This record gives sequence, C-alpha cells and structure tokens, in this order.
Amino acid sequence: MARPLGPVRLKKANPITILVGTVLCIFIIYFLASPGSRGFSKARKLTAASHSLSPPTSPFLKSNSKGKPSPPPVTRYNLNHVTISSDPVAHRENILILTPMARFYQEYWDNLMKLTYPHELITLGFILPKNKEGNAATAALQQQIAKTQKSAPEKDRFKSIIILRQDFDPPLQSQDESERHKMQNQKERRAAMSKARNSLLFTTLGPSTSWVLWLDADIVETPVNLIQDLAAHDKAVIAPNCFQRYYNKESQKEDDRPYDFNNWQDSGKAQELASKMGPDDILLEGYAEMATYRALMAYMYTPGADPHTEVPLDGVGGTALLVKADVHRDGAMFPAFPFYHLIETEGFAKMTKRLGYQPMGLPNYKIYHYNE
Amino acid sequence: MLPFASSGSKVTPRHHVSGYSNGYPRGNTFELSPHRFQPRLNATPAGRRRRRFYLRLAIFTTLGCLGLYFLLSGSSIWSLFSLGLLSGAEDIQLETVRYYDLSNVQGTARGWEREERILLCVPLRDAEPHLPMFFSHLRNFTYPHHLIDLAFLVSDSKDRTLEVLVENLEAIQASENENAHYGEISIIEKDFGQKVNQDVESRHGFAAQASRRKLMAQARNWLLSAALRPYHSWVYWRDVDVETAPFTILEDLMRHNKDVIVPNVWRPLPDWLGGEQPYDLNSWQESETALALADTLDEDAVIVEGYAEYATWRPHLAYLRDPYGDPDMEMEIDGVGGVSILAKAKVFRSGVHFPAFSFQKHAETEGFGKMSRRMGYSVVGLPHYTIWHLYEPSIDDIKHMEEMEQDRLRREQEEKDKAEKAKKIKEQFGDANSQWEKDKSELQNLAAQDKSPKGDEAPADGSKGKAGTEPDIKKGAEAVANKEAVKKDEGAQAQQPNKQS
Repeated sequence: MARPLGPVRLKKANPITILVGTVLCIFIIYFLASPGSRGFSKARKLTAASHSLSPPTSPFLKSNSKGKPSPPPVTRYNLNHVTISSDPVAHRENILILTPMARFYQEYWDNLMKLTYPHELITLGFILPKNKEGNAATAALQQQIAKTQKSAPEKDRFKSIIILRQDFDPPLQSQDESERHKMQNQKERRAAMSKARNSLLFTTLGPSTSWVLWLDADIVETPVNLIQDLAAHDKAVIAPNCFQRYYNKESQKEDDRPYDFNNWQDSGKAQELASKMGPDDILLEGYAEMATYRALMAYMYTPGADPHTEVPLDGVGGTALLVKADVHRDGAMFPAFPFYHLIETEGFAKMTKRLGYQPMGLPNYKIYHYNE
Repeated sequence: MLPFASSGSKVTPRHHVSGYSNGYPRGNTFELSPHRFQPRLNATPAGRRRRRFYLRLAIFTTLGCLGLYFLLSGSSIWSLFSLGLLSGAEDIQLETVRYYDLSNVQGTARGWEREERILLCVPLRDAEPHLPMFFSHLRNFTYPHHLIDLAFLVSDSKDRTLEVLVENLEAIQASENENAHYGEISIIEKDFGQKVNQDVESRHGFAAQASRRKLMAQARNWLLSAALRPYHSWVYWRDVDVETAPFTILEDLMRHNKDVIVPNVWRPLPDWLGGEQPYDLNSWQESETALALADTLDEDAVIVEGYAEYATWRPHLAYLRDPYGDPDMEMEIDGVGGVSILAKAKVFRSGVHFPAFSFQKHAETEGFGKMSRRMGYSVVGLPHYTIWHLYEPSIDDIKHMEEMEQDRLRREQEEKDKAEKAKKIKEQFGDANSQWEKDKSELQNLAAQDKSPKGDEAPADGSKGKAGTEPDIKKGAEAVANKEAVKKDEGAQAQQPNKQS
C-alpha cells in the first residue's frame, strides 16, 4: 500500500518495549565486556607462568593462537626470598593444601571455601586412587572445582589446583580379613597412604610454597582462620586436635569425642616395646594387644582453656597438619617402611626430629572429622 | 472419505465467528496497543518535560553505572568497541587446574619412544670453571632435548656460576635449531651458609665428611622438591665435573629398566700416577663387616667410604671394572655414588630422598641407595660401563708434581751440561789435534830445513826429538800450559749454571 511521502511518523513506542530494549542492550554490553570478568584479573595473570611446563603451584597462560610454541624460558627462582613467617597474609606467603582423597564430602569443600586465608595464595593438591570409588570422587571434585574456578567470584577462586591419580592400587580391604590380620593390614594400608602422600607432596611442592597444610578429605569443620591461627605459632610442624561430632545417646544431646589418636608423646613403655621388635615391625596406637601408655593429645583437651596452648609431640596424625615447606624440602617425608618402628605420619614426626625439628600440638584447638 | 464431511477437519472457516469483520480480535488479548482511544498520560507540556527529565536521568545513571563497573572490574573498555574480538582475553586464558595420571609416568626401557620426560638435576657451587665442559656434554645428549627438563641449584657461590649458567642456557633456548631446545629450565638459588670449603683437600678430609655429606643431601633435596613435576618419568642426577661420558648415556642407562642405576666412575691420572684410577667409591655392595661396624656406631654417625678410619671391606663397583668387559653387565649394589644417577621418578615420588641425617649410618647418595633398597627398589651398578671424572690434583699431588717438575728440570740441565762438556772436550781435543798437527808439520818443516843443509841426517826419525833442539821443546811446553789454562776457564764456566739451578 502506498504511503504518502514525508517524514515517517514513528509510532510512539510502548514503555515496556523500551524497557525490554534497554535490558537487552545492557546484556549485550555486559557480554561484550565480560570475557575479562569471566576470566581472571590482570593481577592474577601477572603472577601466572608463561608456559605449561612450570611449577603446578602457579596457573599458566594458555595461548589459543595457532603457531609454533616458543621454547620454555629459563626461569630463576630465588628460594632465599621465600619467607615463612608467623604473619603469612602480610607477607603474601603461598600455601599448599594437600589432601589424599578416597571419597568426596561436600562438607569438606564447603569448609575449604570458607577459609579466610586469601584464596589467590592457596594452591590445592589432591591425589585419588584409580578405582571405582576414586573415579566417583574425582568426578564430584572436578564438578566443584569447575564451579568455583569458572563462575565463582574471583576472590573465591584458588590460585591453582592439581589433581593426581595414584599409580598404584590401594591395598584390598576386606572387612573379614581385616579382623584376622588387623595389624598387618594396618601396616599395608598406611604404607600405601604414605606413598600417596609423598607422591602428592614431592610433585607439587614447587619453588614458591611457604607452608604445606595437610588436610584429610573427611575434615568437615575447622575454624575459618585455621591457617592464620596455626601459622601464628611459627612452628616447623603443628597439629590441631581432631574431634568428631556425634549424638550422645546417654546425655540425649549433640556432643563431640576425640578422634585422632596419632598425636602423642612417647613413653618409656613404647620405647621398650620397640626395642624388642624386629626391623620390619611397627608400633601402632589404639590396639589393646599393644598397650603403649603414650600420652595422647586427644585426651589433653581442657574445655574452656586457651586454644593456643602448645605441647611438644613425638608422633603426629595427618588429619590436619601445618608444616613449614622447608621441613619437607630438607627431606622430611612419610616413610612407607618402618622407620624407628613407626610409619606414615608418625614416622614423619620421627624424621622431622632426626632432621632437628620439633613437632608441636595444640590440644585445645579443635577441628572436626566427618561422622557417618 | 470426503474432508467436508469429517468433523475433525483441518480446514479453517474463512470467517471466524469470534473475530470482527475487520480482522481484529475481540479484545481481551495481549495486544499492547489496543485500538481504542487512550488519553495521553502527560498531556500537559510540564508533564512532558518531567518525563524527558526522568528519561535523561535514567540514561545518565545507566551510563554512570556502566562506567563505574568498568572501572571497578578492571576489564578494558576497549573490548566494547572491538566487539570483544580483539581483546587479549580471547587469546590467552589462565589455566588454573591441572590433572595428571601418575600411572602414565612409570618409566620404561624405551622412554624416548614413549616421550617420557626426564628431569636432569645438577647441584652447583662455585662451578664456573667446569661449566663450559658441562655445556658441551649438554648440547650433545642424544635423548630428545624437548623431553629433558633441566634443574640447577646454585648455592653459596662466590664466582660467576649463575651468570655463566644463565647466559649459556639462554643461548641454547634461543638457538635456531629447534632440536637443541630443552624443556622446562629452572634455576634454583638457595644459600645454605655452608662453612665447609669446596676445595679438594677440605672436600675429602675425613673429619668434614659427615656434616659435608648432610649439607650436600640437603641441597639435593631442595633441588628435587622444587623441580620434580607430576609429568616426570625419570630423574637423572649429574655432576658438573664429568669430563668424558657417552652422549647416549641416558638411553644406555634407561635400557636396563632399573629403578636406580649408576655407571662406573673413574678418573684419568697423569702417567706418573698410573694413568687412571677408580674415582667414585660410594657405589658398593653391603658387607657383613660394615653392618657389624654400623651397629657399634653412634646414631648420628655416618660411615664414609674410602677412608682408613672405616674399614668396611665392601666390594666396590669401581674396583670391579674390566676395560674389556661387557658394558651391559649389571651388579646389585646398596650404596650409590652421586656423579651420575638415573632413577625412575616414582622412586622419588614414593618418598625416597637423600637423607640429610644418618639413615642406617649413611647420608646423601649412599643413604639414598640404602633407602631405595629399604623400599624394595632395584639398585644396580654397571661395572664395565665407565664415565670419566675430571682429574683435579690434590695438594699432595700438586706438591709431588712440583717436585717432579724440578727433578725433570734438573735432569734436563744435567743432560745439557753433560752434552756441553762433551762438546767442549771434543773441541779441545780437536784443538789439541790440530795443534799437534801444526807442531808436527812445523817439526817436519824444521826437519826438512835441517835436512836440506845437512843432507844425510834426515831419514832418521828417532833422531827427530834430539834434533828438535831447544826452541822446539820450549814451544811444546808453552802449548801445554796454554791448554791447561783454557781447561780451567771452561771448568769455571760449566760449573756456574749448576750453581744457579
């Protein structure tokens, strides 16, 4: 239909149309500008490595451009400048949180996210076995990681995350068999655990880490300032007291009970037992047939007492353990063989003592283990 | 069946009962502008102005908010104009998550075919003079260079070790030849404040051994823990002062597919010391004597090999060398030397390290061998596969060499003197002969003169002496005196150089 010539008289737009248009425009502008906001800020990119062959404790810049990759650069790391101080936040000290994981607990991840230590200084390291359970845990873990690292606000994202899969099978654990050879099984299980811990530790430690926090996958509740609180003590190795929440049927209310019995002070009786043992035997804590009479930190908890009370320890557990990176660099590891009749974390404590360090414990500083 | 007759026909009637004849539906729809009169809300000019003001306010607020957002988020406003196509964020992404399956990096006999990565660890301390030699080895490795990651620890160095190292490495990475480029290169700087001197004498003195070995162990552990990555299948430890080694050493050792393997290490010597000598005595098999000795020692004591203080009677890899033996022959050992160790990365991953404390009365590399055995790994030495360590003369050797040099000089001088003397004597004898000849001819002349006037007296030779008369005898005496004077002079001259030396 022919329209008479002249200026088009625009039909007066409806306010709803304008509103929809404006919102659309804002969205378009937002998404045009958003690649930067969905990725990482400049500050984080500056600290990243320029090549994929780099310490896993730092993220690296992945170039999508096609072209010949340049050879890796010559990188200098001055470990004289890596500080380990009682105020790690002020000194921007990098911390590596290491977790051997067999099962994924959402509560563990939630607790991790709540830690107040600056996340851009935290590197997470996980090692998972290569069996069905491990695969399931890996999938669940990766889902949470993707959620955090891709879409969470930048302050919640961790510096970098390393996922390792074990190169050996976890020892078979049949409940019936473990009844018969309980102590023997315990040795194999803990030897495998040691190997997993060491594999995780020595491939991820890198040149810039100041602290290593060992945190078991079933630790579901810690104070949010866990890292700052433990580091403030400025000790080579320091362990909080691990408890477990449960429903006390006797008193009909929620209660907690000691959980980790591997934090202990040595006793003459245990020394005597050890001296009579063969070179491949190990001392175990918590078995009636092997009464060691060691002083257990689990029972040193005094309600209402100062949480910063320190006690020296001769054996430590691995549920939560803050270690100065230098101690590990000097060679302190988790022996997968009987070392002074001790194995895994208890052997680790012995080895740190042989290297001239003294592990400490905080009997009144509680963290909580998962209860099934 | 005819379509008209069916009740479920899809043919729609042309004139719908619910619609007006003008095509518009009968109200009550989602139509935004219904066709009926709507009075203007802000018909008055004042109302219109107010509306315009609100609109402008809204626009400015939106723009302000956007500007603030860009400022705060720190992202570039440029991406707006470039439609996000040119922005760097598209090109480079930050990768924060790494996933590794350790069962892929177990280490096999043919690592170069399976692209297995090797970590090459080199501890350095005041090593500048050795670096050129080391880099000549590095450039010549036949193992694919891009699969080798290099890690250096420079500790307590007072010379230009670091600078020379960086220069050389950057030259390699910048080289035109792509095959020359290495993988990750990390240089770790860490000063341990070592009190022990690094010169040969203090390095090998017995008293300093235990603490020195513990410090060395500490340095090695720092290097390894900073450089080992989840993608390494092998770790190769190499000392910087290896003089001669096959370029194929990595493949040669790898082929044996052992957890820990070391070659035999010898060193060349000057001929006067026998030409060659076993160097690395830290590769040995355990002996009953040594085990018994270990039991008697203090917890922190460290047994060191090659010192009379600890007689261990252990079979050493070094002494079992046969230059014509099969280089592939293997020997089980318990202690290893650190000059050249190839180990699977899984050994280090499982926690085996260089004890910086006394582990079963051993430290550093020997403790490493002991710990590997404790964890059930195979530890093997190749007695007939030899690499050669640099020969650095010890202070005794240097003294001996100085003495030998003096001896040699003296001997040379003596020979020279002797030769000169002989020459002089010969010359003098030569002179005497000629003198004699002269005398003889003169005598003959005289005789001939005598003969010509006297005639018949000439044939008698025996009468010559008698007939020689006074002047001839005088002449002879003079000649003898001259000769002796010359001889004295010569003697004085000949003795002088001897005194000087």
